[in-house]
Amino acid sequence: MTLARESTTRSVGRGSTSFFRQRERPDSSKHAKPILVMEEVYKYFRRDVPTLKNVNLKINRGEFVFVTGPSGAGKSTLLQLIYRKHTVDSGRILFSGRDVARLTKSSIPFLRRNLGVIFQDFKIISHWSTFENVAVALEILSIPKRLIRSRVAEALDRVGLAGRGNEHAGDLSGGEQQRVAIARAIVTEPALLLADEPTGNLDPGLSIDILTLFEEIHEAGTTVIFATHDHSLLQAAPHRLVMIDDGHVIEASQGLRAWAARTQSMVAS
Amino acid sequence: MDLSTALSRARRNFLDDWTLHAVAIASLVVAFLCLGATLFAVANLNRIAEKWGNTQQLSLYLKDGTEKADVSQLQFVLESLPEVAAVEYLTPAAAQKKFLEQTDAESDLASLPTEVFPASLEIKLTQGVPEGRLQKIIDRLQQLAPVQEVESYRGWFEHLASLLQASRWSASVLAALVAICVIAVIENTVRMAIAHRSDEIEVLKLCGATDGFVRMPFVIEGAIQGSVAALFSILLLLVAYAIVSGQVGYTFATLTGVSLTFFSPQIGLAVVIGGGAAGALGSLLSLRRYLSV
Repeated sequence: MTLARESTTRSVGRGSTSFFRQRERPDSSKHAKPILVMEEVYKYFRRDVPTLKNVNLKINRGEFVFVTGPSGAGKSTLLQLIYRKHTVDSGRILFSGRDVARLTKSSIPFLRRNLGVIFQDFKIISHWSTFENVAVALEILSIPKRLIRSRVAEALDRVGLAGRGNEHAGDLSGGEQQRVAIARAIVTEPALLLADEPTGNLDPGLSIDILTLFEEIHEAGTTVIFATHDHSLLQAAPHRLVMIDDGHVIEASQGLRAWAARTQSMVAS
Repeated sequence: MDLSTALSRARRNFLDDWTLHAVAIASLVVAFLCLGATLFAVANLNRIAEKWGNTQQLSLYLKDGTEKADVSQLQFVLESLPEVAAVEYLTPAAAQKKFLEQTDAESDLASLPTEVFPASLEIKLTQGVPEGRLQKIIDRLQQLAPVQEVESYRGWFEHLASLLQASRWSASVLAALVAICVIAVIENTVRMAIAHRSDEIEVLKLCGATDGFVRMPFVIEGAIQGSVAALFSILLLLVAYAIVSGQVGYTFATLTGVSLTFFSPQIGLAVVIGGGAAGALGSLLSLRRYLSV
């Protein structure tokens, strides 16, 4: 694993943490102000069979949290409730003190402007250029074109794609496409980054690269929720770990981390 | 969302889906050509009606063998009426010559005998003679001994007026049909564009785009399609007009007394603006039905 981490550092050489714009590093201790609070959250997709049951979770500003669990456990649902793709059936989700579930439809875009969301399938527009894929997040905010150019260039630099703005996104490799998606998510400097299996379509080496990139973004002050069932990533980075099992959320201790890794390994095999 | 961003996104979408838009515009051009052709016909009928409606004229056909003295006396009486501007006596020979000049069909009708054409008094009335007064003059003239028949051309004007009215109705109905056609075509085009750009729409929504941000480029695209199709059809009609007026313009002018003209720039502008409005409406309807943002 050490080797993998070293190779990662080399491959993302330009993206050293010192390069990133440093935010005021939030205190992630138990007294820190939470950015996300989930209280007694239930979500049903089928009657009488809740996908999420009585979920209670508190995430502080500046934290890096892994959300893990077997496929179908509800990891993606948990994230989808945060960015309001779905609405909770009971309970509440407070993002920066506001109840996400009670937002009106017209307010949802403004919630999402404070979030960066990254997916397993990248969700980039393949016939657009790399620049256009990242710039779209800033165009939505009506930022002047001159500023968009500089901020997109900076974001592409942060993800190791400096000078490749004119390339067709569809011509990039999987790992590079995911970097474009990450650049799009961070270019608006969101308060919270939601990553839904961002390494699911990548090989192990690239997965570590992408994880390292997330850690660098986190080091610069962004709160990250990283959903994955890849045990090698959980072992590679000693961050807070939350497990979802049968709809319940369990805060994992170090012992549980090893158990989770073994379980994931067994499930995967 | 600022307009320049919406326009640049619409432009990018146009370039990305140019075949889809080209097909839609081509379909709409056909619809606008029908409307434009009808408007062209209405414009020319209008001119004919104006020309002949303003020319208040009577033809007094005289009985065969009417004495010249009677004709002179009748001419004198007519000229003394305040409603009469001028009176011209046409002998059968003069009537034949005038007819052959106006019809441009000399070869076929030149062999007709002069007796076929009756002598007549062509009366030009002053402007604005009331309908009732005109009828009284006609009634009195018909009672005079040398008069065979009085032609007031009212029947012809009534036919022309009804034809013009029917053309206006046809143009209105056609305009409504074209509007429906434009809305339907653009609605369908936008539906396909929505399906084609579903990934893009999803990304926009995930990045926090408002409904307006997502919808605005589609509306602009619809408006551009409608107005470009209208403009293109008008240009095609202009080309057709240039060709046709060169070939049949003289005959038309001889037969009707007015030259063939294209409809006014104001009408052309209205068609282009109307096309744009119908396109935007079609786009909005499609977005309402097929895009849930």
